[in-house]
Amino acid sequence: MNVLEASDVTKSFREGRGEEVRVLSGASLALARGEVVALEGPSGSGKTTFLSILGCILTPSSGRLVIDGEEVDPRRPERLPTVRRLKIGFVFQQFNLFPALSAVENVEYALNVKGVRGRAARQEAERVIAAVGLSDRQGFLPRDLSGGQKQRVAIARALAGGPPIVLADEPTANLDAQVGQQVLEMFQELAKRENRGLLIVTHDPKVRTIADRVVRIADGRIAA
Amino acid sequence: MVDLARKNLLYDKLRFLITVSGVAFAVTLVFVQVGLFLGLMDNASITIEHLDADLWVTSRNTANVDFAQTFPETYVQRLRSVPGVERADNLIVWFMNVALPTGAREGTLVYALSDFRRWKMPWNVTEGNLDDLKRGKYLFLDSSATKRYGAFAPGDYREVLGHRMKIIGRTRDALSFSTTPISFVDFRRAQELSPQELTGNTTYILLKLAPGADRAAVLAEVRRRVPHNDVWTREEWASRSRHYWVESTGLGLNMIMTVFLGCLVGLVVVAQTLYTSTMEHITEFGTVKAIGGSNRDIYKILAEQATISAVVGFLLGSLQAFLLRPVMAKIDLKLIIPPSFAAVVFAGTLVLCLAAAMISFRKVAGIDPALVFRG
Repeated sequence: MNVLEASDVTKSFREGRGEEVRVLSGASLALARGEVVALEGPSGSGKTTFLSILGCILTPSSGRLVIDGEEVDPRRPERLPTVRRLKIGFVFQQFNLFPALSAVENVEYALNVKGVRGRAARQEAERVIAAVGLSDRQGFLPRDLSGGQKQRVAIARALAGGPPIVLADEPTANLDAQVGQQVLEMFQELAKRENRGLLIVTHDPKVRTIADRVVRIADGRIAA
Repeated sequence: MVDLARKNLLYDKLRFLITVSGVAFAVTLVFVQVGLFLGLMDNASITIEHLDADLWVTSRNTANVDFAQTFPETYVQRLRSVPGVERADNLIVWFMNVALPTGAREGTLVYALSDFRRWKMPWNVTEGNLDDLKRGKYLFLDSSATKRYGAFAPGDYREVLGHRMKIIGRTRDALSFSTTPISFVDFRRAQELSPQELTGNTTYILLKLAPGADRAAVLAEVRRRVPHNDVWTREEWASRSRHYWVESTGLGLNMIMTVFLGCLVGLVVVAQTLYTSTMEHITEFGTVKAIGGSNRDIYKILAEQATISAVVGFLLGSLQAFLLRPVMAKIDLKLIIPPSFAAVVFAGTLVLCLAAAMISFRKVAGIDPALVFRG
Protein backbone atom coordinates (compact mmCIF):
# COMPACT_ATOMS: atom_id res chain seq x y z
CA MET A 1 0.00 0.00 0.00
CA ASN A 2 1.35 3.40 -0.98
CA VAL A 3 1.79 5.96 1.76
CA LEU A 4 2.83 8.63 -0.69
CA GLU A 5 1.64 9.25 -4.23
CA ALA A 6 2.63 12.21 -6.36
CA SER A 7 1.18 12.45 -9.87
CA ASP A 8 2.13 14.94 -12.59
CA VAL A 9 3.45 17.46 -10.10
CA THR A 10 4.61 20.76 -11.55
CA LYS A 11 6.14 23.72 -9.81
CA SER A 12 6.92 27.12 -11.24
CA PHE A 13 8.49 30.12 -9.52
CA ARG A 14 8.34 33.71 -10.60
CA GLU A 15 11.75 35.32 -10.69
CA GLY A 16 12.59 38.92 -9.80
CA ARG A 17 11.97 40.24 -13.31
CA GLY A 18 8.60 38.50 -13.51
CA GLU A 19 9.86 35.60 -15.59
CA GLU A 20 8.32 32.26 -14.76
CA VAL A 21 10.77 29.43 -14.17
CA ARG A 22 9.45 25.89 -14.29
CA VAL A 23 11.37 23.66 -11.88
CA LEU A 24 9.19 20.55 -11.99
CA SER A 25 7.41 19.37 -15.15
CA GLY A 26 5.04 16.56 -14.29
CA ALA A 27 7.04 14.56 -11.76
CA SER A 28 5.38 11.41 -10.40
CA LEU A 29 6.45 9.09 -7.61
CA ALA A 30 4.92 6.47 -5.33
CA LEU A 31 6.30 5.19 -2.06
CA ALA A 32 4.99 2.11 -0.26
CA ARG A 33 5.14 1.26 3.44
CA GLY A 34 8.42 -0.46 4.30
CA GLU A 35 9.94 0.61 0.99
CA VAL A 36 13.23 2.48 0.66
CA VAL A 37 13.55 4.66 -2.43
CA ALA A 38 16.59 6.66 -3.48
CA LEU A 39 15.94 9.82 -5.48
CA GLU A 40 18.99 10.85 -7.46
CA GLY A 41 19.64 13.71 -9.75
CA PRO A 42 22.19 16.35 -10.66
CA SER A 43 22.23 19.81 -9.11
CA GLY A 44 19.38 21.95 -10.42
CA SER A 45 17.34 18.94 -11.47
CA GLY A 46 14.51 19.91 -9.10
CA LYS A 47 14.98 17.19 -6.51
CA THR A 48 14.99 19.55 -3.50
CA THR A 49 11.85 21.28 -4.79
CA PHE A 50 10.24 17.88 -5.33
CA LEU A 51 11.26 16.84 -1.81
CA SER A 52 9.79 20.08 -0.40
CA ILE A 53 6.49 19.35 -2.15
CA LEU A 54 6.45 15.73 -1.03
CA GLY A 55 7.22 16.97 2.49
CA CYS A 56 4.28 19.43 2.34
CA ILE A 57 6.61 22.38 2.79
CA LEU A 58 5.79 23.76 -0.65
CA THR A 59 2.55 23.39 -2.58
CA PRO A 60 2.65 22.21 -6.20
CA SER A 61 1.54 24.51 -9.02
CA SER A 62 -0.44 21.58 -10.38
CA GLY A 63 -0.69 17.85 -9.97
CA ARG A 64 -1.93 15.58 -7.22
CA LEU A 65 -0.36 14.64 -3.93
CA VAL A 66 -1.76 11.99 -1.58
CA ILE A 67 -0.17 11.47 1.81
CA ASP A 68 -1.23 8.37 3.76
CA GLY A 69 -4.57 8.32 1.99
CA GLU A 70 -5.26 12.04 2.39
CA GLU A 71 -5.16 14.26 -0.68
CA VAL A 72 -3.24 17.46 -0.01
CA ASP A 73 -5.20 20.47 -1.18
CA PRO A 74 -2.81 23.17 -2.45
CA ARG A 75 -5.53 25.77 -1.93
CA ARG A 76 -5.38 25.14 1.81
CA PRO A 77 -1.73 25.78 2.75
CA GLU A 78 -2.75 26.23 6.39
CA ARG A 79 -3.30 22.44 6.54
CA LEU A 80 0.28 21.66 5.57
CA PRO A 81 1.88 21.99 9.05
CA THR A 82 -0.66 19.51 10.41
CA VAL A 83 0.15 17.00 7.65
CA ARG A 84 3.86 17.42 8.31
CA ARG A 85 3.35 17.05 12.04
CA LEU A 86 1.35 13.86 11.84
CA LYS A 87 2.53 12.06 8.72
CA ILE A 88 6.11 12.97 7.90
CA GLY A 89 9.49 12.70 9.56
CA PHE A 90 12.47 14.64 8.22
CA VAL A 91 16.21 14.01 8.21
CA PHE A 92 18.34 16.92 7.04
CA GLN A 93 21.78 17.15 5.51
CA GLN A 94 22.97 19.48 8.32
CA PHE A 95 21.27 17.37 11.02
CA ASN A 96 19.41 20.52 12.23
CA LEU A 97 19.47 19.48 15.86
CA PHE A 98 18.69 22.06 18.54
CA PRO A 99 22.11 22.77 20.05
CA ALA A 100 20.72 23.64 23.50
CA LEU A 101 18.85 20.35 23.83
CA SER A 102 20.34 16.97 24.67
CA ALA A 103 19.96 14.07 22.25
CA VAL A 104 16.87 12.73 23.97
CA GLU A 105 15.39 16.21 24.38
CA ASN A 106 15.79 16.86 20.66
CA VAL A 107 13.57 13.87 20.01
CA GLU A 108 11.21 14.70 22.87
CA TYR A 109 10.74 18.27 21.62
CA ALA A 110 9.73 16.98 18.16
CA LEU A 111 7.19 14.75 19.89
CA ASN A 112 5.92 17.74 21.88
CA VAL A 113 5.36 19.59 18.59
CA LYS A 114 3.41 16.55 17.37
CA GLY A 115 1.21 16.85 20.47
CA VAL A 116 2.77 14.06 22.55
CA ARG A 117 3.51 15.39 26.03
CA GLY A 118 4.86 14.40 29.42
CA ARG A 119 5.93 10.87 30.30
CA ALA A 120 4.64 9.40 27.03
CA ALA A 121 6.92 11.76 25.06
CA ARG A 122 9.91 10.96 27.21
CA GLN A 123 9.38 7.20 26.96
CA GLU A 124 8.97 7.30 23.18
CA ALA A 125 12.06 9.53 22.86
CA GLU A 126 14.11 7.12 24.94
CA ARG A 127 12.79 4.20 22.88
CA VAL A 128 13.86 5.64 19.54
CA ILE A 129 17.18 6.87 20.94
CA ALA A 130 17.80 3.30 22.08
CA ALA A 131 16.74 2.03 18.63
CA VAL A 132 19.51 4.11 17.02
CA GLY A 133 21.99 2.83 19.60
CA LEU A 134 22.53 6.02 21.54
CA SER A 135 21.14 5.16 24.97
CA ASP A 136 24.50 5.87 26.56
CA ARG A 137 24.64 9.29 24.85
CA GLN A 138 21.06 10.41 25.33
CA GLY A 139 21.97 13.20 27.77
CA PHE A 140 24.72 14.59 25.55
CA LEU A 141 24.38 17.94 23.78
CA PRO A 142 24.86 17.87 19.98
CA ARG A 143 28.23 19.62 20.33
CA ASP A 144 29.48 16.58 22.27
CA LEU A 145 28.37 14.07 19.62
CA SER A 146 30.18 12.99 16.47
CA GLY A 147 28.68 13.61 13.02
CA GLY A 148 27.39 10.04 12.80
CA GLN A 149 25.86 10.24 16.25
CA LYS A 150 24.18 13.53 15.38
CA GLN A 151 22.66 12.01 12.27
CA ARG A 152 21.44 9.06 14.32
CA VAL A 153 19.72 11.48 16.70
CA ALA A 154 18.17 13.17 13.66
CA ILE A 155 16.95 9.78 12.42
CA ALA A 156 15.50 9.02 15.86
CA ARG A 157 13.72 12.38 15.77
CA ALA A 158 12.28 11.62 12.32
CA LEU A 159 11.02 8.19 13.40
CA ALA A 160 9.58 9.35 16.73
CA GLY A 161 5.82 9.43 16.92
CA GLY A 162 5.49 6.86 14.11
CA PRO A 163 5.05 8.95 10.94
CA PRO A 164 4.31 6.67 7.96
CA ILE A 165 6.74 8.62 5.74
CA VAL A 166 10.34 9.61 6.37
CA LEU A 167 12.05 11.99 3.95
CA ALA A 168 15.81 12.36 4.09
CA ASP A 169 17.80 15.05 2.32
CA GLU A 170 21.40 13.99 1.66
CA PRO A 171 21.71 12.25 5.05
CA THR A 172 25.29 11.13 4.41
CA ALA A 173 26.66 14.33 2.88
CA ASN A 174 28.37 15.42 6.09
CA LEU A 175 29.60 11.98 7.15
CA ASP A 176 32.69 10.05 6.16
CA ALA A 177 32.21 6.97 3.97
CA GLN A 178 32.33 4.34 6.70
CA VAL A 179 30.06 6.17 9.12
CA GLY A 180 27.74 7.07 6.25
CA GLN A 181 27.37 3.39 5.32
CA GLN A 182 26.65 2.44 8.95
CA VAL A 183 24.04 5.18 9.29
CA LEU A 184 22.37 4.15 6.03
CA GLU A 185 22.20 0.50 7.04
CA MET A 186 20.72 1.37 10.39
CA PHE A 187 18.28 3.78 8.76
CA GLN A 188 17.14 1.12 6.30
CA GLU A 189 16.76 -1.50 8.99
CA LEU A 190 14.65 0.80 11.20
CA ALA A 191 12.45 1.89 8.30
CA LYS A 192 11.80 -1.72 7.34
CA ARG A 193 11.28 -2.89 10.91
CA GLU A 194 8.87 -0.05 11.69
CA ASN A 195 7.20 -0.31 8.27
CA ARG A 196 7.84 3.31 7.20
CA GLY A 197 8.18 4.53 3.64
CA LEU A 198 11.65 6.04 3.32
CA LEU A 199 12.64 8.41 0.52
CA ILE A 200 16.27 9.48 0.41
CA VAL A 201 17.36 12.33 -1.84
CA THR A 202 21.05 11.87 -2.51
CA HIS A 203 24.14 12.11 -4.65
CA ASP A 204 25.78 9.35 -2.64
CA PRO A 205 26.14 6.06 -4.59
CA LYS A 206 26.17 4.14 -1.28
CA VAL A 207 22.47 4.79 -0.94
CA ARG A 208 21.87 2.49 -3.92
CA THR A 209 23.12 -0.42 -1.80
CA ILE A 210 20.30 -0.06 0.72
CA ALA A 211 17.50 1.17 -1.60
CA ASP A 212 14.77 -1.08 -2.94
CA ARG A 213 14.42 1.25 -5.88
CA VAL A 214 16.39 4.09 -7.40
CA VAL A 215 14.52 6.92 -9.09
CA ARG A 216 16.29 9.55 -11.19
CA ILE A 217 15.11 13.07 -11.68
CA ALA A 218 16.41 15.28 -14.48
CA ASP A 219 15.11 18.63 -15.72
CA GLY A 220 12.14 18.45 -13.43
CA ARG A 221 10.97 15.05 -14.69
CA ILE A 222 11.30 11.58 -13.26
CA ALA A 223 13.37 9.53 -15.65
CA ALA A 224 12.38 5.99 -16.39
CA MET B 1 7.50 19.19 27.95
CA VAL B 2 10.91 20.29 26.71
CA ASP B 3 11.42 23.98 27.43
CA LEU B 4 13.26 24.97 24.25
CA ALA B 5 12.83 28.69 24.98
CA ARG B 6 14.56 28.55 28.36
CA LYS B 7 17.27 26.16 27.22
CA ASN B 8 18.07 28.23 24.15
CA LEU B 9 18.19 31.38 26.26
CA LEU B 10 20.55 29.87 28.83
CA TYR B 11 22.66 28.06 26.24
CA ASP B 12 24.41 31.31 25.32
CA LYS B 13 25.06 32.59 28.82
CA LEU B 14 26.95 35.70 27.77
CA ARG B 15 24.10 36.86 25.56
CA PHE B 16 21.62 36.13 28.33
CA LEU B 17 23.75 38.15 30.74
CA ILE B 18 23.80 41.08 28.33
CA THR B 19 20.04 40.92 27.90
CA VAL B 20 19.22 40.79 31.60
CA SER B 21 21.86 43.44 32.32
CA GLY B 22 20.05 45.77 29.93
CA VAL B 23 16.75 45.10 31.65
CA ALA B 24 18.33 45.34 35.12
CA PHE B 25 19.96 48.65 34.20
CA ALA B 26 16.64 50.10 33.10
CA VAL B 27 14.84 48.78 36.20
CA THR B 28 17.51 50.13 38.57
CA LEU B 29 17.46 53.49 36.82
CA VAL B 30 13.69 53.74 37.10
CA PHE B 31 13.70 52.65 40.75
CA VAL B 32 16.50 55.02 41.72
CA GLN B 33 15.13 58.00 39.81
CA VAL B 34 11.55 57.61 40.91
CA GLY B 35 12.58 56.42 44.39
CA LEU B 36 14.74 59.50 44.91
CA PHE B 37 11.99 61.69 43.52
CA LEU B 38 9.48 60.17 45.94
CA GLY B 39 12.02 60.53 48.74
CA LEU B 40 12.50 64.21 47.98
CA MET B 41 8.76 64.71 47.68
CA ASP B 42 8.37 63.00 51.01
CA ASN B 43 10.86 65.45 52.54
CA ALA B 44 8.98 68.35 50.98
CA SER B 45 5.85 67.58 52.99
CA ILE B 46 7.02 65.29 55.80
CA THR B 47 6.41 67.85 58.54
CA ILE B 48 2.93 68.62 57.20
CA GLU B 49 2.09 64.91 57.17
CA HIS B 50 3.28 64.42 60.76
CA LEU B 51 1.86 67.55 62.36
CA ASP B 52 -1.51 66.73 63.88
CA ALA B 53 -3.28 69.61 62.13
CA ASP B 54 -6.34 69.26 59.90
CA LEU B 55 -6.21 72.80 58.51
CA TRP B 56 -3.35 75.20 57.85
CA VAL B 57 -3.65 78.96 57.64
CA THR B 58 -0.83 80.51 55.64
CA SER B 59 -0.08 84.00 54.46
CA ARG B 60 -1.49 84.69 51.00
CA ASN B 61 0.23 82.81 48.16
CA THR B 62 2.80 81.01 50.28
CA ALA B 63 4.32 78.54 47.86
CA ASN B 64 5.50 75.80 50.22
CA VAL B 65 6.04 75.08 53.88
CA ASP B 66 9.73 76.03 53.88
CA PHE B 67 9.15 79.50 52.37
CA ALA B 68 7.00 80.92 55.11
CA GLN B 69 5.89 84.55 55.36
CA THR B 70 4.67 86.36 58.42
CA PHE B 71 1.28 87.67 59.52
CA PRO B 72 -0.01 88.82 62.91
CA GLU B 73 -0.02 86.14 65.57
CA THR B 74 -3.27 87.51 67.01
CA TYR B 75 -5.23 86.06 64.08
CA VAL B 76 -5.23 82.81 65.96
CA GLN B 77 -7.68 84.33 68.46
CA ARG B 78 -10.24 84.76 65.68
CA LEU B 79 -10.06 81.11 64.86
CA ARG B 80 -10.12 79.48 68.28
CA SER B 81 -13.80 80.39 68.59
CA VAL B 82 -14.85 78.91 65.24
CA PRO B 83 -17.41 76.18 65.87
CA GLY B 84 -15.88 72.78 65.13
CA VAL B 85 -12.31 73.88 65.93
CA GLU B 86 -10.91 71.88 68.82
CA ARG B 87 -7.69 73.82 69.07
CA ALA B 88 -5.66 76.38 67.12
CA ASP B 89 -2.03 77.43 67.62
CA ASN B 90 0.61 79.52 65.92
CA LEU B 91 3.54 77.83 64.21
CA ILE B 92 6.68 79.60 63.11
CA VAL B 93 8.80 78.05 60.36
CA TRP B 94 11.77 80.31 59.76
CA PHE B 95 15.19 80.07 58.21
CA MET B 96 17.98 81.17 60.59
CA ASN B 97 21.75 81.31 60.31
CA VAL B 98 23.85 79.12 62.55
CA ALA B 99 27.50 79.84 63.39
CA LEU B 100 29.46 76.63 63.77
CA PRO B 101 32.45 76.12 66.10
CA THR B 102 34.62 75.98 62.99
CA GLY B 103 33.68 79.55 62.15
CA ALA B 104 31.59 78.42 59.18
CA ARG B 105 28.03 79.55 58.77
CA GLU B 106 25.16 77.25 58.00
CA GLY B 107 21.40 77.46 58.02
CA THR B 108 18.64 75.81 60.00
CA LEU B 109 14.92 75.69 59.43
CA VAL B 110 13.42 76.48 62.82
CA TYR B 111 10.03 75.02 63.75
CA ALA B 112 8.61 76.88 66.73
CA LEU B 113 5.50 75.98 68.72
CA SER B 114 4.27 76.75 72.21
CA ASP B 115 3.33 73.14 72.84
CA PHE B 116 5.08 70.60 70.68
CA ARG B 117 3.51 67.57 72.32
CA ARG B 118 0.00 68.75 71.56
CA TRP B 119 0.80 68.78 67.84
CA LYS B 120 2.81 65.55 67.91
CA MET B 121 5.87 67.38 66.66
CA PRO B 122 8.63 66.30 66.35
CA TRP B 123 7.49 62.71 65.88
CA ASN B 124 10.77 60.92 66.45
CA VAL B 125 12.66 62.20 69.51
CA THR B 126 15.76 60.15 70.23
CA GLU B 127 17.22 62.24 73.09
CA GLY B 128 15.95 64.97 75.40
CA ASN B 129 12.64 66.16 76.86
CA LEU B 130 10.51 68.51 74.73
CA ASP B 131 9.05 70.18 77.83
CA ASP B 132 12.50 71.60 78.61
CA LEU B 133 12.44 73.78 75.49
CA LYS B 134 10.50 76.48 77.38
CA ARG B 135 13.09 76.67 80.14
CA GLY B 136 15.84 78.61 78.42
CA LYS B 137 17.78 79.20 75.23
CA TYR B 138 17.43 75.64 74.15
CA LEU B 139 16.85 73.78 70.94
CA PHE B 140 16.34 70.29 69.62
CA LEU B 141 18.29 69.45 66.48
CA ASP B 142 17.66 66.72 63.95
CA SER B 143 20.36 64.08 63.50
CA SER B 144 20.55 64.87 59.79
CA ALA B 145 22.38 68.07 60.80
CA THR B 146 25.50 66.03 61.52
CA LYS B 147 26.40 66.06 57.83
CA ARG B 148 26.36 69.86 57.68
CA TYR B 149 27.29 70.87 61.20
CA GLY B 150 29.59 68.02 62.13
CA ALA B 151 29.07 65.78 65.13
CA PHE B 152 26.99 67.24 67.96
CA ALA B 153 25.48 66.00 71.18
CA PRO B 154 23.02 67.31 73.74
CA GLY B 155 24.90 69.76 75.92
CA ASP B 156 26.73 71.36 72.98
CA TYR B 157 26.13 75.00 72.09
CA ARG B 158 25.51 76.57 68.69
CA GLU B 159 25.07 80.25 67.85
CA VAL B 160 21.76 80.94 66.13
CA LEU B 161 21.45 84.47 64.70
CA GLY B 162 24.03 85.58 67.24
CA HIS B 163 22.29 83.91 70.20
CA ARG B 164 24.10 81.15 72.08
CA MET B 165 21.68 78.20 72.11
CA LYS B 166 22.15 74.92 73.94
CA ILE B 167 21.27 71.69 72.17
CA ILE B 168 19.14 69.71 74.63
CA GLY B 169 17.67 67.05 72.41
CA ARG B 170 17.96 65.19 69.19
CA THR B 171 15.35 64.05 66.67
CA ARG B 172 15.33 61.78 63.63
CA ASP B 173 13.70 61.92 60.19
CA ALA B 174 12.72 65.60 60.37
CA LEU B 175 13.99 66.67 56.96
CA SER B 176 13.37 69.51 54.58
CA PHE B 177 13.35 69.35 50.79
CA SER B 178 16.46 71.53 50.59
CA THR B 179 18.19 69.31 53.21
CA THR B 180 18.54 72.34 55.50
CA PRO B 181 18.62 70.80 59.01
CA ILE B 182 15.46 71.28 61.04
CA SER B 183 15.62 72.48 64.64
CA PHE B 184 12.84 72.88 67.19
CA VAL B 185 12.59 75.95 69.41
CA ASP B 186 9.94 77.33 71.74
CA PHE B 187 7.60 79.77 69.98
CA ARG B 188 8.54 82.84 72.06
CA ARG B 189 12.25 81.98 71.83
CA ALA B 190 12.00 81.95 68.03
CA GLN B 191 10.48 85.42 68.12
CA GLU B 192 13.36 86.59 70.32
CA LEU B 193 15.91 85.16 67.94
CA SER B 194 14.59 87.16 65.00
CA PRO B 195 12.68 90.02 66.63
CA GLN B 196 12.56 92.30 63.63
CA GLU B 197 10.52 89.87 61.56
CA LEU B 198 8.90 87.64 64.13
CA THR B 199 7.89 89.75 67.13
CA GLY B 200 4.10 89.75 67.21
CA ASN B 201 4.03 87.56 64.12
CA THR B 202 3.59 83.96 63.16
CA THR B 203 3.97 82.16 59.85
CA TYR B 204 1.20 79.58 60.13
CA ILE B 205 -1.84 78.79 62.21
CA LEU B 206 -2.55 75.13 62.84
CA LEU B 207 -6.12 74.01 63.42
CA LYS B 208 -7.36 70.72 64.79
CA LEU B 209 -11.01 69.93 64.14
CA ALA B 210 -13.27 68.62 66.86
CA PRO B 211 -14.48 65.03 66.36
CA GLY B 212 -17.51 65.00 64.05
CA ALA B 213 -16.96 68.59 62.90
CA ASP B 214 -18.10 69.52 59.40
CA ARG B 215 -14.79 70.14 57.68
CA ALA B 216 -16.28 72.13 54.80
CA ALA B 217 -18.27 74.36 57.12
CA VAL B 218 -15.24 74.99 59.35
CA LEU B 219 -13.09 75.72 56.31
CA ALA B 220 -15.62 78.26 55.02
CA GLU B 221 -15.86 79.97 58.39
CA VAL B 222 -12.08 80.10 58.82
CA ARG B 223 -11.74 81.64 55.36
CA ARG B 224 -14.36 84.21 56.29
CA ARG B 225 -12.53 85.17 59.46
CA VAL B 226 -9.04 85.48 57.92
CA PRO B 227 -9.91 86.78 54.47
CA HIS B 228 -6.39 87.93 53.62
CA ASN B 229 -4.84 84.52 54.28
CA ASP B 230 -5.00 81.18 52.51
CA VAL B 231 -6.53 78.18 54.24
CA TRP B 232 -5.65 74.65 53.23
CA THR B 233 -6.52 71.18 54.33
CA ARG B 234 -3.52 69.10 55.31
CA GLU B 235 -3.65 67.14 52.03
CA GLU B 236 -3.94 70.30 49.90
CA TRP B 237 -1.07 71.98 51.69
CA ALA B 238 1.18 68.91 51.44
CA SER B 239 0.37 68.60 47.75
CA ARG B 240 1.01 72.31 47.14
CA SER B 241 4.37 72.11 48.90
CA ARG B 242 5.42 69.10 46.82
CA HIS B 243 4.21 70.55 43.54
CA TYR B 244 6.17 73.70 44.12
CA TRP B 245 9.44 71.77 43.96
CA VAL B 246 8.32 69.60 41.05
CA GLU B 247 7.33 72.60 38.95
CA SER B 248 9.84 75.23 39.98
CA THR B 249 12.96 73.06 39.86
CA GLY B 250 12.25 70.97 36.75
CA LEU B 251 12.65 67.95 39.00
CA GLY B 252 9.55 66.28 37.59
CA LEU B 253 10.64 66.77 33.98
CA ASN B 254 14.12 65.52 34.81
CA MET B 255 12.65 62.43 36.44
CA ILE B 256 10.33 61.73 33.51
CA MET B 257 13.17 62.19 31.01
CA THR B 258 15.50 59.85 32.90
CA VAL B 259 12.80 57.21 33.30
CA PHE B 260 11.99 57.51 29.60
CA LEU B 261 15.65 57.17 28.61
CA GLY B 262 16.14 54.25 31.00
CA CYS B 263 13.17 52.44 29.49
CA LEU B 264 14.38 53.24 25.98
CA VAL B 265 17.84 51.83 26.69
CA GLY B 266 16.32 48.70 28.23
CA LEU B 267 13.94 48.29 25.29
CA VAL B 268 16.69 48.70 22.71
CA VAL B 269 19.04 46.28 24.49
CA VAL B 270 16.36 43.60 24.84
CA ALA B 271 15.04 44.10 21.31
CA GLN B 272 18.52 44.02 19.84
CA THR B 273 19.66 40.91 21.70
CA LEU B 274 16.40 39.05 21.09
CA TYR B 275 16.48 39.95 17.41
CA THR B 276 20.12 38.90 17.02
CA SER B 277 19.34 35.69 18.87
CA THR B 278 16.37 35.07 16.57
CA MET B 279 18.52 35.61 13.50
CA GLU B 280 21.13 33.21 14.82
CA HIS B 281 18.48 30.59 15.53
CA ILE B 282 16.65 31.10 12.27
CA THR B 283 17.52 27.59 11.01
CA GLU B 284 16.26 26.13 14.27
CA PHE B 285 12.99 28.00 13.89
CA GLY B 286 12.85 26.77 10.30
CA THR B 287 13.30 23.24 11.65
CA VAL B 288 10.47 23.79 14.15
CA LYS B 289 8.25 24.79 11.24
CA ALA B 290 9.46 21.91 9.05
CA ILE B 291 8.61 19.31 11.68
CA GLY B 292 5.12 20.72 11.93
CA GLY B 293 5.40 23.60 14.37
CA SER B 294 3.44 26.76 13.65
CA ASN B 295 4.32 30.44 13.94
CA ARG B 296 2.42 30.32 17.23
CA ASP B 297 4.87 27.73 18.59
CA ILE B 298 7.76 30.06 17.75
CA TYR B 299 5.98 33.14 19.12
CA LYS B 300 5.56 31.23 22.37
CA ILE B 301 9.30 30.53 22.44
CA LEU B 302 10.14 34.21 21.89
CA ALA B 303 7.52 35.41 24.35
CA GLU B 304 8.81 33.02 27.00
CA GLN B 305 12.37 34.21 26.41
CA ALA B 306 11.24 37.84 26.73
CA THR B 307 9.33 36.99 29.90
CA ILE B 308 12.31 35.21 31.46
CA SER B 309 14.54 38.16 30.56
CA ALA B 310 12.00 40.53 32.10
CA VAL B 311 11.65 38.56 35.34
CA VAL B 312 15.38 37.96 35.86
CA GLY B 313 16.22 41.53 34.82
CA PHE B 314 13.57 42.92 37.14
CA LEU B 315 14.83 40.86 40.08
CA LEU B 316 18.44 41.89 39.45
CA GLY B 317 17.48 45.54 38.96
CA SER B 318 15.35 45.52 42.13
CA LEU B 319 18.18 43.92 44.09
CA GLN B 320 20.58 46.60 42.91
CA ALA B 321 18.12 49.34 43.83
CA PHE B 322 17.54 47.87 47.29
CA LEU B 323 21.29 47.52 47.84
CA LEU B 324 21.66 51.19 46.94
CA ARG B 325 19.18 52.25 49.62
CA PRO B 326 21.58 52.17 52.59
CA VAL B 327 24.26 53.85 50.45
CA MET B 328 21.83 56.66 49.61
CA ALA B 329 20.73 56.91 53.24
CA LYS B 330 24.33 57.64 54.23
CA ILE B 331 24.21 60.81 52.15
CA ASP B 332 20.75 61.70 53.48
CA LEU B 333 18.92 60.67 50.33
CA LYS B 334 15.79 58.65 50.73
CA LEU B 335 14.94 56.01 48.17
CA ILE B 336 11.25 55.28 48.52
CA ILE B 337 9.96 52.28 46.56
CA PRO B 338 6.35 51.54 47.47
CA PRO B 339 5.18 47.97 46.67
CA SER B 340 2.52 49.34 44.31
CA PHE B 341 5.21 51.19 42.34
CA ALA B 342 7.38 48.05 42.24
CA ALA B 343 4.37 46.18 40.82
CA VAL B 344 3.93 48.87 38.14
CA VAL B 345 7.64 48.68 37.22
CA PHE B 346 7.39 44.88 36.98
CA ALA B 347 4.36 45.09 34.70
CA GLY B 348 6.12 47.78 32.64
CA THR B 349 9.25 45.64 32.34
CA LEU B 350 7.19 42.71 31.14
CA VAL B 351 5.32 44.81 28.59
CA LEU B 352 8.53 46.41 27.30
CA CYS B 353 10.30 43.05 26.92
CA LEU B 354 7.31 41.57 25.10
CA ALA B 355 7.18 44.67 22.91
CA ALA B 356 10.88 44.17 22.15
CA ALA B 357 10.11 40.58 21.14
CA MET B 358 7.50 41.80 18.64
CA ILE B 359 10.27 42.79 16.24
CA SER B 360 11.44 39.19 16.24
CA PHE B 361 7.83 37.99 15.86
CA ARG B 362 7.68 39.76 12.52
CA LYS B 363 10.89 38.09 11.42
CA VAL B 364 9.86 34.54 12.31
CA ALA B 365 6.45 34.97 10.70
CA GLY B 366 8.27 35.11 7.37
CA ILE B 367 10.57 32.13 7.90
CA ASP B 368 10.31 29.66 5.03
CA PRO B 369 10.58 26.12 6.39
CA ALA B 370 12.12 25.13 3.06
CA LEU B 371 15.34 26.76 4.26
CA VAL B 372 16.11 23.52 6.12
CA PHE B 373 16.85 21.89 2.73
CA ARG B 374 19.39 24.53 1.80
CA GLY B 375 22.55 22.82 2.89
